[in-house]
Amino acid sequence: MNNHLRHLREQRAWSQGDLAERLDVSRQTVNAIETSKYDPSLPLAFKIARLFRQSIESIFEPGKD
Amino acid sequence: MPRFSGRDYDRRMMTAMAVYVVVFLTVWPLARSAAAPLMKITYALTPVLPLLYVIWLMAQRILRSDELEQRTHLIGIGVAAVVASIVSIVAGFLAAANVMTLQDTSVVLVWIFPLMMIAYGIARTRAARRYGSSGACDDEDRMPVYLRFLGASAIFSFIAAIVYLRTGEEEIAAMMLGMAAALGSVAAFFGIRRWRRRSSPSE
Repeated sequence: MNNHLRHLREQRAWSQGDLAERLDVSRQTVNAIETSKYDPSLPLAFKIARLFRQSIESIFEPGKD
Repeated sequence: MPRFSGRDYDRRMMTAMAVYVVVFLTVWPLARSAAAPLMKITYALTPVLPLLYVIWLMAQRILRSDELEQRTHLIGIGVAAVVASIVSIVAGFLAAANVMTLQDTSVVLVWIFPLMMIAYGIARTRAARRYGSSGACDDEDRMPVYLRFLGASAIFSFIAAIVYLRTGEEEIAAMMLGMAAALGSVAAFFGIRRWRRRSSPSE
């Protein structure tokens, strides 16, 4: 699954640590999601969408497989 | 539930281990000379209390972790359970067939917990690396992992020296020294890896 999390975070000039604090997760988890190494659970995806005031599908999009 | 900060976790863990060392050196030896069976059991099992606190602390840390961390913890615990199961069943069969003495079996039993912790640490670190982390044990706000292993190694060396000098118990001192050597080897592995990564930033 691909996502625009890094772009959204950088638009707000937040560091990965800032975003991690807002989402109550570790910085490593933010990094794993941004680099598409980890797909977040639905509750975390909703949390991310709420934080950026966007819909889930506008942040996350399905991968090729 | 608020997340545990790495420093807070390290501070509590080190306090518990310090209590364990003190109890092991002062209370546990009394078990051999105690006459009443109840006192014997109490003295022998007192060192287990700080270890139970350590296990509770680890459980709290996992409960307060985020979903990705919990996944890597689960992988680590799974691998550690497999390692512990294999070692205990092999030792059990050998002991039942009288290939191993009761003394050998007790040595294996004492080693199972440290072995589980080592297997858990290695498996979790590898799992975390798959998700792009530099290593679950090398969180930025925590003491470097090689220093933690080095500290544990120093504690076991200290216990070995005290046990040997105070009681002359060569077997127990040798077992503690063995644990210190194993932990020291792990510390050396992580220390060298850290040094190599720092000396080649392009990697």
